[in-house]
Amino acid sequence: MMKKVGGVILLWLLLLFSQLAEGKRYSPPGKPTLTSCRSPEKETFTCWWEPGSDGGLPTTHALYYRKENSEMVYECPDYKTAGENSCFFSKNDTSIWVNYNITVVATNALGRTFSDPVDIDVVYIVMPNPPEEVRVSVTQNTDWPFLRVSWEPPKKADTRSGWITLIYEVRIKLENEDEWEVHPAGQQKIFNIFSPRSGGTYQVQVRCKPDHGFWSEWSPSTYVKVPEYFPREKSMWILIVVFSAFIFFIFNWLIYMNIYSLKHCLLPPVPGPKIKGFDKQLKNGKSEDIFSSLVVSDFPPTTSNYEDFLVEYLEVYIPEERELIMEDSKELQDDSLKSENSTCDNDSGRGSCDSHTLLIDKGGGDKEDGLQSDQEGSQAEMDSKRHEEAPEEELLEYSHGNVHSPDISSEKVKSWPSLFSPLPQYGLSPVNQPSPPEMGKQHCLSDSLFTPDALSSYFTQPGPSTKTDFRSNYWECNFNHKQSHPLHPQTAAHEHLQAQNDTIMACVERIGAPLGVHVPNVRPTEYVEVQRVSDENMVLLHPISSGQENTCTMRRQTEDYSRVKTLNNDKGLLLLQRESMEEEMDMCPNEEEGVSRVTSNGYTASITPTSQKSAAGINASLPILDERAASGYVDTTTMFGQPTY
Amino acid sequence: MAQRRISGDRLFITVVYLVAMCRAVPIGDLLDRASQRSDKMHSLSTLLTQEMDSHFPPYGRIPNENAPFDCQPPHYRRPMEKKKSSGKGSGESDLMSLVRSLLQAWVDPLVILSNSAITLPHPAKSSISSKIQELQEHSKSLADGLDILSGKMGPAAQATSSLPYTGGTDLGQDRVTILNKFGFLLSCLRRDSHKIDSFLKVLRCRAVKLQPELC
Repeated sequence: MMKKVGGVILLWLLLLFSQLAEGKRYSPPGKPTLTSCRSPEKETFTCWWEPGSDGGLPTTHALYYRKENSEMVYECPDYKTAGENSCFFSKNDTSIWVNYNITVVATNALGRTFSDPVDIDVVYIVMPNPPEEVRVSVTQNTDWPFLRVSWEPPKKADTRSGWITLIYEVRIKLENEDEWEVHPAGQQKIFNIFSPRSGGTYQVQVRCKPDHGFWSEWSPSTYVKVPEYFPREKSMWILIVVFSAFIFFIFNWLIYMNIYSLKHCLLPPVPGPKIKGFDKQLKNGKSEDIFSSLVVSDFPPTTSNYEDFLVEYLEVYIPEERELIMEDSKELQDDSLKSENSTCDNDSGRGSCDSHTLLIDKGGGDKEDGLQSDQEGSQAEMDSKRHEEAPEEELLEYSHGNVHSPDISSEKVKSWPSLFSPLPQYGLSPVNQPSPPEMGKQHCLSDSLFTPDALSSYFTQPGPSTKTDFRSNYWECNFNHKQSHPLHPQTAAHEHLQAQNDTIMACVERIGAPLGVHVPNVRPTEYVEVQRVSDENMVLLHPISSGQENTCTMRRQTEDYSRVKTLNNDKGLLLLQRESMEEEMDMCPNEEEGVSRVTSNGYTASITPTSQKSAAGINASLPILDERAASGYVDTTTMFGQPTY
Repeated sequence: MAQRRISGDRLFITVVYLVAMCRAVPIGDLLDRASQRSDKMHSLSTLLTQEMDSHFPPYGRIPNENAPFDCQPPHYRRPMEKKKSSGKGSGESDLMSLVRSLLQAWVDPLVILSNSAITLPHPAKSSISSKIQELQEHSKSLADGLDILSGKMGPAAQATSSLPYTGGTDLGQDRVTILNKFGFLLSCLRRDSHKIDSFLKVLRCRAVKLQPELC
């Protein structure tokens, strides 16, 4: 027993060794694998497998299948049609919508090996053949040819009955390129490819796919040669030329439209000459045109900056005796100049500096002489005025130094001419006013001689002058042209006053120029304007600080107010300075009172303090003037010097 | 009164005219639309099965046990084969009737699938659930459209066979059983949707003789 077993074992070992010695090894076949099963038309299908190692022994393979819900196992009916390692299921053997369980078995002498089973349904494994009869043609007889690709479905696929619905895809590339251009074509069998390169050779392929299946293989390539047609480059150049011509025309048109501004930009106009000094002509007073040209365009100026009023804002009409006056005025100017600070602002108009120079040049005359000559004139004017209109006007004047009333008046008078003297040289108005003695004169003082510190406005209302000597002495402010009508000295006094109210207003408004007289106290500059004309022909002035304000409020804001109360002996105006601010409050209601007290003629001593609270100092020695709203500053010295009434 | 009657008559005539105009829509176009919808349905079901198999492969199912019932009643298999083998010679009416029967048969199973998908022990259950709901909508609209279509094709097309679902409402108790049954149902759905799609496309090609480029 033991020997037999041992013998058998020995035999097997020998066999094994013999096999090893020969270098061969036999084994059962390796496991085959089903690679794919495909149906080209949903009516038949084919399965392919991959055999495993054969184990050194001849192996055979067999395919077995089992249909769904059936235990019957069938073997592949056709191993040959589809080639090696394949099984072809014909139409009779194919059932659709049925699960097939397919297994491949490899058998050799040593054993058999089963592959993994595969479940398939024929309808899900449809992979058609590639499309057939792919044709590509170039459209003829056109300037812009294109390619037309056409094909046919694979023969086996039954698309006619709708059993299979195929979707196509076209791809194209130039012969020597690598990138394909893929175009989905849907269910159509014709496809157009536009804008081929002229002279190029194209390669076209088509493939198809059922609605729920796999893509077919690409059809074999079809080549097409595109003939040379109209070269593209030329067309591009033509486009470029046209476009640039268009741009060029647009550009020219733009330049033409803006030719003037362009000229101005490139060739700026040469500025005209600027006159810094005065010509001899100007001094001689020739050629009104020159003067008119010198007049500032914005005449009359607004109340924005009174310093600008210093020069030629007044259009003054000078009658034939102008020159005489001028000479006189020159002397006076010198006097006034001495007492006045010369303010030659750089910002001021030409006249400011120039007037000073003029005055200085022509100065040197006797002040008294000038005073006399002009005094008469101006005083006469004033007197006449005063006589005529008496308390109507109030002069606010800032005098500097001279206390003597006549002197004051004369000085005041002086100041007028001084103020006026340069004016004719600068701003003769072209308006020709008739110069009858009845003409009312209006003097508006805007003088550069005034210092900014002093705020006073000289306001004189020229009454109709009965003295013919001074016919020419009057200056008119041509703020408006209301003065053109002659007025009788007496009958039309009021009228004249009324008529000139506006001008007065205008004059006063514009005056605003600070007096150049030295001010003992620094006071804020104030401006006066005529508030109204009372019934008794009194002109009420009120200061203007900024625009129109209530006179009462204005007074409160300012400290000093003075007004010309009366003319004193035809000599001058009295200005009283109000000293206390508290009295201002009472001034407003008392205005009327004070005004009313001033009579038209006999106001030489009619300083009636309407309020009890007039300046103490003044009360003592001088008749106190009402501290009505008066714009202007009165030097206390002058007040003291004034004759009492 | 007389005017009202006249206006009423006119309205009726207008309505009839419009209906007639509506009927003038060619059947081929209607079938084209129906086939598009069925194509969409089949795509959805294919995606469903793929999602199902990604986590529960078919080979994980127990063979011979995943088919407690057939996808189709056996008596229906033959007409399919007969239609196919006869070279598609069967009449359109039969095809239409078959399609409508199939659609009708899947109403209940879809409800079951939809209810089970929410609690399915599967990682992609939300996606599956949404797709099933979409399938239900498509199926409903397609059935309604085919009702109108079949009316134009004759009384034979109107007849539908009842294919009751015998699988029961409960999919199972344990996870494997549930998944098995669910997967099986999805595979049946996929197949039937393919059938519907194929038949409708055959009908379409038969109806559009004037437009051969479609087929």
